[in-house]
Amino acid sequence: MKEFAVFWGCTIQARFPFLEKSVRVVLKGMNLPFRDMDGFTCCPEKSLVNNIDHGLWLLTAARNISLVDKEAVDLVSPCTGCVSNLATAKGEILSNPRKEGEINSLLKEVGREFKGTSRLYHLVPFFHDEVGIQKIKQSIKRDFSGMRFAVHYGCHMMRPSHSLKNDDPLEPKKFDNLIRALGGESVEYSTKLMCCGQGLDRVDQHDRALQMARVKLRELKNTGVDAMALCCPSCFLQFDNNQHLMEKEGERFNVPVLYLTDLMGLAMGYTPQALGLDGHRVDTEPFLKKWKEISSRPSAAAAFSEGMKKEGSFI
Amino acid sequence: MFDIHLDFDLLEKCNRCGACYDICPSCLNIDGYDPRAVIKDILNGNAGRWLTSVHIYQCLECHHCLEICYQNYGFENAMTAMRLRAARQGIHPPQVRRGWDMFVKTSRLGEPSLAARKKLGLPEPRESGKEEFLKLLEVYRMRRHGPSPCLRER
Ligand code: SF4
Ligand code: SF4
Repeated sequence: MKEFAVFWGCTIQARFPFLEKSVRVVLKGMNLPFRDMDGFTCCPEKSLVNNIDHGLWLLTAARNISLVDKEAVDLVSPCTGCVSNLATAKGEILSNPRKEGEINSLLKEVGREFKGTSRLYHLVPFFHDEVGIQKIKQSIKRDFSGMRFAVHYGCHMMRPSHSLKNDDPLEPKKFDNLIRALGGESVEYSTKLMCCGQGLDRVDQHDRALQMARVKLRELKNTGVDAMALCCPSCFLQFDNNQHLMEKEGERFNVPVLYLTDLMGLAMGYTPQALGLDGHRVDTEPFLKKWKEISSRPSAAAAFSEGMKKEGSFI
Repeated sequence: MFDIHLDFDLLEKCNRCGACYDICPSCLNIDGYDPRAVIKDILNGNAGRWLTSVHIYQCLECHHCLEICYQNYGFENAMTAMRLRAARQGIHPPQVRRGWDMFVKTSRLGEPSLAARKKLGLPEPRESGKEEFLKLLEVYRMRRHGPSPCLRER
């Protein structure tokens, strides 16, 4: 496998370092050739930067991409926003030679060159396509049989598809496949592809952000799932932190929120502490407790064969 | 070259279509959010009245409308253009302003939390590209607008 640089992004490092921990533990545990790189800046974020200066948004993204281009490594990020921003800017620049020329004449002033040769991945399609389901299954010690998950993709994992091209933008499958590879059930629910709504928190509309979070959490409370599975720090902020804020006001949904790598790490045998699960605001204990209970029960197949042995035999 | 332009032909068709109302999370969940009302005013030359409206910031940029659009357009384009136009006039939610200020000063939207990293046993964070970014920003501003005020004084 080609070496890749991890693009952590601002949100994970500033607010959720325990998510970085969880990703690192899994990348190391699977012996994947990742490295950290000096020199990255904000991707940059769309709703704040692109809404004020589109040119600077493009240029900053192009500079970040030029760093991996130079090292001839791919880029993998555990943040959907970072990948979507970088890929969208890359697509826009590559489709317009004049723009590319202008960007490169600016970058030249600081000794950089945008080529757009490195591949940009989000962690979910990366695990699905590059690492592969088989290898993931082989790394598991204890799977999630009997556990029900609500996958929340996060819009920017696969949209805009003209630039990301990594899954069906309206009917994505890869995250569900990963959950199944871990032995869990990925339940269908009607608001599955609905945006988390965290963007509203970034434009001073906190109450509306909560209102959006509620729509999905209410459905999941009624559906009855053991956890929500996601892989984006903004969505995490929305469903973990904001759910916790609502809990404090007496509104309880009881939907633990787990990062893809939390689940992979647990299945690989790492402890919740090693994966930084104690950093989550919504209690993950009920999820862990049920998992322990289920997996200490003998499987139906094992119980059946046991029964066959015990009951009297004709021979 | 780096500006976003609106295609009025596409907008005209969008104005007559409306298929996106059924999938747009903001149309479905926020009272009064209606991209087509904005589009109508853009087409009639009355865009200005939306510059101070919260609605132009209620587009979540989820790109759902872009993906289902029969003309590969998406009514989010109108909302993005309106936000940029508002920004040109210095109108934006305070939080957007704060985020922008932090970005142009530090190249990031938050610094790694060192104490928490230590507790978790994470390695030292890598150097950011701040210095180089600030230099690039100055070059970019010079090209777009000429010397910045502090350079002009010199
Ligand atoms: S991008 Fe904006 S306008 Fe389009 S569907 Fe999403 S919230 Fe609605
Ligand atoms: S964005 Fe496309 S599909 Fe949606 S209302 Fe406009 S024209 Fe119709």
